[in-house]
Amino acid sequence: MRSTTSILDKIFVKRFYLENVGFFLILFYLFFGTVNGANLISYHHALIRGFISSTGFLLIVLGIWTAYAIKCMWFVMKTLHSPGYDFLFSTMGSIPHGERKWHWVRIQTEIYLPVLIYSAVSIFIAVAEHRYIPAAIIAVVNILHCVWPLWLYERKIWKPDTIFFTGYIQQWINKHFIKPPVLFFIYELLTNFPMRIISTKLASTGVLWLTFLLLSRDQAFDLRGLQLGVICCALLHMQLMIHHRAFDDTYLSFMENLPIPLWKIYARLTGIYVLLFLPEILMIIVNAAHATSAVGIATVLITGISLMMVFRCLLYFPKMNTEIHIRYTLSISFVTLFMILAHYEWLAILLLQLAAATLFFSRYRKYEAYIDPDL
Amino acid sequence: MTLSTKIALKKNCVYISEFFIFTFLKHDHMSESVITLKNVRKAYQGNPVLEIPFLEVPVGIHWLKGQNGAGKTTCMKVIAGLIPFSGEILLREDISNKYNPVALRKAINYAEAEPLFPAYLTGNDLLALYMNTKGGDKDWINEVATQLGIHAYINFPVSSYSSGMLKKLSLLLAFTGTPQLILLDEPLITIDTAAVETLYGLIREKSEQGVSFIITSHQPIDESVIRLSGVLNVADKTITRN
Repeated sequence: MRSTTSILDKIFVKRFYLENVGFFLILFYLFFGTVNGANLISYHHALIRGFISSTGFLLIVLGIWTAYAIKCMWFVMKTLHSPGYDFLFSTMGSIPHGERKWHWVRIQTEIYLPVLIYSAVSIFIAVAEHRYIPAAIIAVVNILHCVWPLWLYERKIWKPDTIFFTGYIQQWINKHFIKPPVLFFIYELLTNFPMRIISTKLASTGVLWLTFLLLSRDQAFDLRGLQLGVICCALLHMQLMIHHRAFDDTYLSFMENLPIPLWKIYARLTGIYVLLFLPEILMIIVNAAHATSAVGIATVLITGISLMMVFRCLLYFPKMNTEIHIRYTLSISFVTLFMILAHYEWLAILLLQLAAATLFFSRYRKYEAYIDPDL
Repeated sequence: MTLSTKIALKKNCVYISEFFIFTFLKHDHMSESVITLKNVRKAYQGNPVLEIPFLEVPVGIHWLKGQNGAGKTTCMKVIAGLIPFSGEILLREDISNKYNPVALRKAINYAEAEPLFPAYLTGNDLLALYMNTKGGDKDWINEVATQLGIHAYINFPVSSYSSGMLKKLSLLLAFTGTPQLILLDEPLITIDTAAVETLYGLIREKSEQGVSFIITSHQPIDESVIRLSGVLNVADKTITRN
């Protein structure tokens, strides 16, 4: 009979590494693939020396390690909350207190292992260079990252309905705040698919950061460059739009019985995409305020939101799957880009708005989720 | 009996039967209809599931009967405006789905057989949404929520509800606003006996105020508690009145 340790390893540790193969491949490529093999050791030696000798750099590294520890903890909590894993509450709850704690620490340590290996090398180098304080900080922080999630895991075992450590905040919000429909999809993303919205926002703000970097190298600030960046940002949100349609189809069909005029539903749709685009809006305002006029910024922002509205409204054609959607969105983006390059940006905005409104008002009441008969 | 007498008798029988049919139709036409379906067609991926040339449902409580997969839920979703269809639906021969889709939705409430809501919404979120859009007497709804025992968990997210709790919430939402027709899809499943009694009481109360009901149920409806006005049969992609 297999031991409890090996079964728990299969449930948590092996699944963690299997589900994060892509993440680790990218990380491995960034750390070891982008550096010449001959310089690999000296590169990492210099990197470690860099953060053990600079407090600011060390704080950034510790922040990244903390983010990874949270990712590990999130995975365990999500597993405990997933359907089909209910048996863990009765089985783990039956293990003696000390033994169970040992299992939690071991699981957390095993999935946190990549950081532990790198930090162990860092401590070794720091001690060799007589930098005892950074070495101690690294050691303490990493030991804490193996231990603190234990408190949450224990709490989850005894209070299975606790979704996350924000449970009390969530309860307070539920009691004192009525969620408006405009926030339903954003709530869905934040509560059930946080990685999806975080990765989209990271990619989108990354594109904007690169755009501003390139624009800052030019003598004159060309607004069209920023508009190109915004078009890319809108395209990066396509995955969220497909998800949005599926969410509406699955969970919000009950709202079709509510007496809400179409214009209000359209306004709500606009509100959802304005809110989704809010981080980019703030980033554009902060970075472009000194370089262009308010009208210029407004043009850029309205272009981005108009594009997202058209992309979303295209999905009111039930047979519009991801593949067909990409074709249409790319075509629309190219036409918009050429109009912007020719300084017809307001005409482009007008046409996008007209297209979005026409699609919505003609398709919304006729739309019904398409089920592929071949599936 | 001579042939001419037989023919005369036969003619009389035809006249009498025609008289009765005419009288029945006249009476039927005169009885106030709550909902009228005209040329209603619904197809899924090109396969027709409902084809109703004409159906007039009078005011009252109706039991919508049919086998599994006959199209009862589809029919309810069509009337409630949840899914698109071709044809026209008229409420009280006045409010059309084509010209007054919002007014129609305000007047028709629907409780699904297996309600599904976003997991993070609380009962309170949903109740507020329904009250804000459908309107109605807040105090009365709160009283019903208390009777059904929903008030105890109304601030919890629906993900923490059992199927019975979710069903009770869905039924409560169907009684919000000032509906003229309430569609209840399998209202008796998963709820406890006390809630069934409360539900019967609510149906009686609303019916006395002129609200009509169309109810699907595989469990027999207790006719000693609520008086049925008629039965609607769903079969062969259409609906007939008994």
